[in-house]
Amino acid sequence: MDALDHRSAVGQLSDDLRWLEEHCRQQPELAPHAGTLRLASALTRNVVGPFLENQPPKPLHLAVVGGAGAGKSTVVNFLAGTIVAEANPQAGYTRHPTAFLPAGPAFQWPSFLGFLGPLQRISQEQPANLDEDVYQVKRIPPGKPGAPDPLTDFVIWDCPDMTTWASASYVSRLMEVAALADVVVYVASDERYNDEVPTQFLHLLIRAGKAVVVVLTKAREADAPALVEHFNNEVLGRLPKLPDGSMPAVPVIVFPQMTPQERNDPSGAGARFRVQLLNQILVQCENETAARVRTVTNAAKYLGSAGEGLLDVARRDLGELDLWKSTVHAGRVEFEERYRREFLSGEQFRRFDRYRDQMIDLLELPGAGRVLSSVLWVLRSPYRWTRDYVAGLIGRPDVLNLSEQTVLSAALTGWLDRLQAESLKRAGTHPLWKSIAHGFDAGLAAQARDRFQQEFRTFELKETDELERAGREMVGKLENKPALLHMLRGGKLALDLVVIGSIIYLTWVPSWYHLLLLPIGVSATHQGAELVVRGAAEATRSHVRHERETLVSTALTGPLAAWLADWPATGGSNIERLQQVLRRVPLAIQQLEERVTAKASKMQQSIQSPPVATAGLSEPRA
Amino acid sequence: MTSDATTAEPQPLLRTLAPLLRGLERQLRAWLDARRRFPLTMIQRAELEGLADDLRRQSEALDVDKPLLVIMLMGGTGVGKSTLLNALAGGPIAQASFTRPTTRDPVVYFHHSVKTDRLDPALRLCRLAQHDRESLAQKVIVDTPDLDSNDLANRDKLKALLPIADVVLYVGSQEKYHDQLGWELFKEQRRRRAFAFVLNKWDRCLQTGETGLRPDEDLLRDLKAEGFQDPVLFRTTAQLWLDASNDAPANGPPPRPGNLPEGEQFTLLRSWLELGLTRLEIEAVKARGVGQLLSQLAGVVDGVRPPDLSAEADKVKESWARVLADEAGVQADVLVGTLEPYQTEVEHHFSVEGHQRFRGLMAAYLKLTTRLRYAGSSLRDRIPLTGRILGGGKVETPVEWNLGAFVQDCARAAGERVLDQRTTALINRLLVEADQRGFPVQLLNDPTNAVGRLDWRERITRTVIDALAEVEQVCTHPTGLRRALRGTLTAMANILPEVALIATAAVLLWNFFMHGQTPEMFRMLLVVLIPLVVIIVIHLLILLLLPVRWPAIRSEFRRRLETRLVDELERVYLPIPGEIATALQDERKQVDALVADTKQVSDWLAERQQAARVAELYGT
Repeated sequence: MDALDHRSAVGQLSDDLRWLEEHCRQQPELAPHAGTLRLASALTRNVVGPFLENQPPKPLHLAVVGGAGAGKSTVVNFLAGTIVAEANPQAGYTRHPTAFLPAGPAFQWPSFLGFLGPLQRISQEQPANLDEDVYQVKRIPPGKPGAPDPLTDFVIWDCPDMTTWASASYVSRLMEVAALADVVVYVASDERYNDEVPTQFLHLLIRAGKAVVVVLTKAREADAPALVEHFNNEVLGRLPKLPDGSMPAVPVIVFPQMTPQERNDPSGAGARFRVQLLNQILVQCENETAARVRTVTNAAKYLGSAGEGLLDVARRDLGELDLWKSTVHAGRVEFEERYRREFLSGEQFRRFDRYRDQMIDLLELPGAGRVLSSVLWVLRSPYRWTRDYVAGLIGRPDVLNLSEQTVLSAALTGWLDRLQAESLKRAGTHPLWKSIAHGFDAGLAAQARDRFQQEFRTFELKETDELERAGREMVGKLENKPALLHMLRGGKLALDLVVIGSIIYLTWVPSWYHLLLLPIGVSATHQGAELVVRGAAEATRSHVRHERETLVSTALTGPLAAWLADWPATGGSNIERLQQVLRRVPLAIQQLEERVTAKASKMQQSIQSPPVATAGLSEPRA
Repeated sequence: MTSDATTAEPQPLLRTLAPLLRGLERQLRAWLDARRRFPLTMIQRAELEGLADDLRRQSEALDVDKPLLVIMLMGGTGVGKSTLLNALAGGPIAQASFTRPTTRDPVVYFHHSVKTDRLDPALRLCRLAQHDRESLAQKVIVDTPDLDSNDLANRDKLKALLPIADVVLYVGSQEKYHDQLGWELFKEQRRRRAFAFVLNKWDRCLQTGETGLRPDEDLLRDLKAEGFQDPVLFRTTAQLWLDASNDAPANGPPPRPGNLPEGEQFTLLRSWLELGLTRLEIEAVKARGVGQLLSQLAGVVDGVRPPDLSAEADKVKESWARVLADEAGVQADVLVGTLEPYQTEVEHHFSVEGHQRFRGLMAAYLKLTTRLRYAGSSLRDRIPLTGRILGGGKVETPVEWNLGAFVQDCARAAGERVLDQRTTALINRLLVEADQRGFPVQLLNDPTNAVGRLDWRERITRTVIDALAEVEQVCTHPTGLRRALRGTLTAMANILPEVALIATAAVLLWNFFMHGQTPEMFRMLLVVLIPLVVIIVIHLLILLLLPVRWPAIRSEFRRRLETRLVDELERVYLPIPGEIATALQDERKQVDALVADTKQVSDWLAERQQAARVAELYGT
């Protein structure tokens, strides 16, 4: 598994998920799924991809998220230890993620392909346009010399909110950064902590396996313990359970209403709050490699467990495709039924009679015996005439059949009309049917007819072939077995002679009217032979009829039905892409999960657990 | 509010409006309940039902001397709705706490003179808090549950209450004034009710940064974009006022807290509620509310007006006629094809019919020859199993020639083999044709299916019998030259053989008696032979000049059958698009009437609207 292999797998998966996300955004009822899909694709790009490409675990990422006005910027300042982000009363003021790099020695900014997806890094102070997908990178100014800076290995991300009405346009940026983070600081104010939208976001983070630290802001200091308890019950108590069934452990810290001095001097007057927060974060990340491995493993697990759910949206659409396919199939069944009833049931295959006559001829004696045969033929003539006359009297003409061509084209029209009518009836229910109805407007029926014509040509050749072949085979069966043929001929001759002989013997001395029995006798033997041949021919005929039915199904309707059924999923349509995505994504997720697990276990063995980082952090106030 | 306002004459405007609204509601309900061709979507129906409910509610609320103005606080959890109400009431009537969400049951704050049963039924179930402040006598203030917490039931309660509100007091805080859930609800409701805005926790809004707007400016900007040029916005810090009134003695005016932030406007809010909303304003808000309701109703009803499809219907009719003609052709072919095995029977039948006009010797002769010629068909009927062995005859011929039963069997066979499947195919074809002419398929679906379910075999059988009878009629009763020819031949056939017989016999007798010639054997035979020759000659003439042969019958039969089938199909299918178009025209007229009535009421209202300053509560 080389890096290129990883890269293409990761790229493909995140592309597929991105595409699915876009697809959901275009359909109002699926729009709520878009956020989850974005998180999944961002996890693939920003976490799993770099890990498999052996990017260094440093820096760890720390994302500060929360509802509008909850105090994210204040928390960022406390993390940075100095005022870096402007706390602004305008709700939804921050619309782009901003990364704050530690003041210490510069480390390499992650530079692998696909990092942060569509977000572009900008260098100027303000983006030119609020709707641009960008992020900013700023450096934390160096603090007082000698002051300990426990977050030297962290990039702190100040994220936009997810609650204001403008957030729909930038929540994807939030997802992108939240996916990247190793630790997420979830900021909730005394007003917001039980709000639906942020809580759902918190659930999503927990499901994605992020380490979360909650900061409750703006509470009155006196209310703080009661508030934390209420929060624990109302919100944390209802978090989704971890895969192993336990409740996620989420530490909660309170940032009560602060004095301006405390707020404006995080590492001085406000240090008591800051230390609490830093401790909780460092507890989550004792070792950066371990922390990163945990982030990646959880991300992979999330992808593995959520994968099916992510694809549900695709399945819904493909359910409609299945409905279309079954409609096509029902049309095909009807087509064959019509062919069978309108044409095949009345078709007598008259050309087949030729082979029957050939068979009867074969039973006549060859060479010198021909004379004898002729004599017998003359003897049988009165019987034959009588028989033919009677048959002509009582036989009926056949039902006049519609020609095969007529039946086929009518059945095809019926099939296509049925599909078109169905698509028109359902056009309002799903885009798939609408696109099919458009397809019919744009000449889908004509294309189908062309296709049918092509297939019909081969079918026509085959059906003539089939008939001739079956007839020749029937005759050939007898012709190619001289022993059997001679036996039959001999048998028939012997039977004739026996009949003649026994008539003469029984009526000895025969008078003229006794001799009249002779033609009757030989006619009876011949009639018997003919009945046997007729039976054989009828059996072959019904076999041919059956064969024809199969031929129509395989050569004519089968290919057309397959083409029609797949029509919505060809030509670069959404459905085609959906099918591909549905096929590829579970495989890709499974692969990535395996690779991550393999690599993670290898790395975990190699970690010689270093001394706990928090040990070095004493009260910085001192 | 002054005492003279309460004692003044009841305003005629709103009371007159009440029956008008009731009338409109009845009309709307009747229209909704009526059966219609053009379907309403579920959303449209729900919207109209909601509007009908609103009409009823408004008509009831207005049918009193002094209508109550319902002011509803709406906002996210924790923005301070309950605190605001408590501050207004000067005491803890609504529960306010840091636990979110706090308010689960709405609180209704109203004057003790208002009887509970005058409140809207939805309000009677809430927590009721009465007061004795005359200045708020005609107003009901409602504190509602939140719209954004994890407790989704609260949101439903709020949405159930909102239709009652005349004025919505949209409460926001520094954190939440911009929130999506509240803003969407505002946008959904703003066309229906008056909106005023409160930015609570004003103290938190004042920590301005270097960049970014102050929340009130931001909110004003957003409202401007929504069409509120000059919205009523109050910046309040309700908590401070509540704290101050808690500390103050129970009676007396609420004291002014000392540490108010700059620009705090709670007193403005209170005086707007108490004094700003005078009787005139209440009337105006109510009237405007009704006006908005009416214009929304007109808009929605206008939106469900069915399209005019008469032009399309004509086009569809034209194209359907073509399709049906083709179909009739094929059906006729199929039916004639099933008659094919019985051509001898048909010929026989026709011959027998044709021979009934002959009498005497000719009749006897024809009976004999016909019997000989068609011996097969009666023979076949008497031999069992012939059908199976000789093939071709799925249909059993009735022993007695019975046209009805015979044709029924043929139609059944044709139906089983071909026609049943053609009906669904035909309907699909028709739908596709209609779609290509721009006629909505959904409308045609049910009627065409209903036609498809008719008993087509029965109809076809009747058509075949009629056509056959008609052909028989034509064959046995020819017109014009053929009639003359036939008359001549019949006359000849009925007279000549007898004449020949008598003449020959007479000649023989004459010779015998007059000349005493004893006739020899041959002469005797001539008595029989000469009439026989005459009969045979006449028969040949009949066969030559008036043939009754299957091909002739067949083509005539097919032609007539096709005409009849076309008639039959057209009779059933062709009127459908026209009927639908006419029905839609009627429905359009109904909608137009409803819209016109609504417009009439709203125009009437607009003419009488008083010049009160409420425009800023509505925006544009």
